[in-house]
Amino acid sequence: MKRPALTGKLLVLGVDGMDPRISRKFLAEGKMPNLQKFIERGSARNDLVQLGAIPTITPPCWTTLATGAYPGTHGITCYWRQSPESLDAVVYNMDSRNCTAEQVWNITSEAGKKTLVWHWPGSSWPPTSHSENLSVVDGTQPGSVNMGVAQLDWEKVIIATPEIKEVRYAPRVDKPAGVGCIISDLEDTLDADVDDEMMELWWGDTAREGGEIRTFVMDDEDTEVVIGSKVAYDIVNSPLKDAAGWANAPEGAKEFTVLTSGGVMRRPALILKNDAGEYDRVAIYKNKKADAPIVILKRDQMETGIIDDVTKKEVTKPACRSMKILELDPAGNKVRLWISNALDISNDQLWHQKSLYKDVVKNVGEVPPVSLIGGEDAELVHEIFGPSWDIYCKWQADSMNYLIKEKGYEVVFSHLHNIDCAGHQLWHLGKTLPPWDHTDEKTYQGFIEKFYVQTDEYLGEFMHLLDEDWTVLLVSDHGLIVGENVPPIIGEYGGLNTKVMEELGYTVMKKDENGNSIREVDWEKTRAIQIRSNYIYINLKGRDKYGIVDPKDKYDLEEQLISDLYNYRDERTGKRVIGICLRNKDAVLIGANGPECGDIFFSVEEGYNRLHGDSISTSEGYFETSVSPIFVAAGAGIKSGFKTERTIRQVDVAPSISVLLGLRYPAQCEGAPLYQIFSEEV
Amino acid sequence: MSLQQLDSTRFEEIIYDNCEPCLVIFSKKECHVCKEVVPMLEGMKPQYEGKFGFYYVDVEEDKNLFQRFSLKGVPQILFFNEGEYHGKLAGKVEEEAVEEKIEEIIG
Repeated sequence: MKRPALTGKLLVLGVDGMDPRISRKFLAEGKMPNLQKFIERGSARNDLVQLGAIPTITPPCWTTLATGAYPGTHGITCYWRQSPESLDAVVYNMDSRNCTAEQVWNITSEAGKKTLVWHWPGSSWPPTSHSENLSVVDGTQPGSVNMGVAQLDWEKVIIATPEIKEVRYAPRVDKPAGVGCIISDLEDTLDADVDDEMMELWWGDTAREGGEIRTFVMDDEDTEVVIGSKVAYDIVNSPLKDAAGWANAPEGAKEFTVLTSGGVMRRPALILKNDAGEYDRVAIYKNKKADAPIVILKRDQMETGIIDDVTKKEVTKPACRSMKILELDPAGNKVRLWISNALDISNDQLWHQKSLYKDVVKNVGEVPPVSLIGGEDAELVHEIFGPSWDIYCKWQADSMNYLIKEKGYEVVFSHLHNIDCAGHQLWHLGKTLPPWDHTDEKTYQGFIEKFYVQTDEYLGEFMHLLDEDWTVLLVSDHGLIVGENVPPIIGEYGGLNTKVMEELGYTVMKKDENGNSIREVDWEKTRAIQIRSNYIYINLKGRDKYGIVDPKDKYDLEEQLISDLYNYRDERTGKRVIGICLRNKDAVLIGANGPECGDIFFSVEEGYNRLHGDSISTSEGYFETSVSPIFVAAGAGIKSGFKTERTIRQVDVAPSISVLLGLRYPAQCEGAPLYQIFSEEV
Repeated sequence: MSLQQLDSTRFEEIIYDNCEPCLVIFSKKECHVCKEVVPMLEGMKPQYEGKFGFYYVDVEEDKNLFQRFSLKGVPQILFFNEGEYHGKLAGKVEEEAVEEKIEEIIG
């Protein structure tokens, strides 16, 4: 059946982690004027809420948005999927070939619509249709474009003073807040496994080829909020002294040394005086004989697009970096400098078509690296982490607008990660809980606002499309909560959660000579394990490699496990921390059933949730936060200034796109079009 | 001809200020592989006089330099030209491999 299209051009503006509840708070305070205009010109619920899919995890929810199918149906049920070999390991899952439901962009491109899928972290890469109308950029990790495959070097802070006597380099130092950057004892700062870059471990080539990832979450120290609040970067210490031996050093300049590339690349740098005799700029050179610097940095200004050679694993390539002066003493007695990670500028492997990469770089600029250091260090959040995302948001908006205007894309699916990336590092500090009582919740609530204001500016970059006959849908995958309590050690998405399951006697870890659990499962005694965000697997004979539970006992064991989980009480508050528990067959009620969802699905109770993922979509947190995703639509085919009472489910977005564009529904779609908000009867 | 030892100050001058094409072997007194590789380099040095420098760093005396290049184990021969790092050779290496690397740099 053919339907008339309600629009010819449609943009899905995806903002990872954008929460309607806190958005309403900032709207009421007048801090999101573009979102306000967008709502006034379009349709939404009063609460702006979309009912999210379960689990409230990034790739499953983006896949649901793209397919109109629940996670149990499309098969993407967490960041990772269960390893086919081992119950305690996971494998990479952000591969479109794992998705068992049809993506709506296949339909749009095959119907002749020039379609762009931009960094959509849910079943977008590799491209899912051979149509020449389909273009796809990355989508292999949620961070930023090219982050998983093009990183050549890590972030650095360089500190130079006259008191430092020799150049020193300490790779990947976990720096607790408030500790200075002077390397006093190198032995203490060296980590044996500095080569283990998390981005590469999770999203790099080995992971994408199916390598097993084994991570144990055994105590608070293993949780993301604890790990994420420490900031890790390379520290370089250098003497700061009068420039000597330079071909072209300006009068009064002082020199210091910058090391990159794991310490093997050395760049001489100068601090420069202004006319008033104050040091106010930093110039970095390839070597002392060079005529001109690679870059001159000005105080308070982050520079990006700085191209310099970087060596990784003995291969040297040009890479793009950003840099900023953190501190420069006008009298010339101290300089602190931040250098971003380095992105290989020749890496176009995740751009389809590859010509798209050249077009964007040439007409918009090199992909700017985003900072991943902030956490408990408020100075770095303020000076580096936030501004690096300002630059990235602008680059992404400019890239998308360029491709829309100059390359004629008619349907665009896009994803931006600023809020979620900040949320994973900072949101847990939005309430001062005992483990973080050295931080101030007001400071971090201010950072939450900063990232929503940044998002509003990003939305503003697309408002012009509403005057050019475009339809724009603002969606997110989930929100993120500020935790009311320190979460229990169950439901952490990044690995095998042992603590609660050990206390309940279902998971047994091997012990060291002192009787303490080590990071190895004792399969002979383990009846069940909890892995990824919400899944419990029975260690079943005949199915699992080391299975000990007889299939005939499985049903009773599940019943006992569910009772024990409901009866479990938090050690700090004495309250129940498990929300809902369902057998796999019953979890069809929430769309979390089927072969990728374990034997039992569970959630963590409201009040005990971590940022997102362990909770159901309706959970709320401190500081007016929630796990709900947002939905607002405006433009061609959408009622203007309209509020609906309809429950807008995440599965409804893809079929609504079909109706708006006059195309068929995705093959496995389980949602229904949002006909109440359309400008015409359909 | 014995190799000239570099401490971190001399290292800065030779490698970065003078931008000299050269190699630096990171070695240890008690390492038996170093005892084979260092004399080999000493034997090669005269034929490159004035064209390519040969130096060594004692990693026990200058631990900082060893750590700065993220090295694991000795001996390691690092190559430099115009202040840029040009790769390394690790362990028991043959004279031909070193010659090849030098040719690559000075062409």
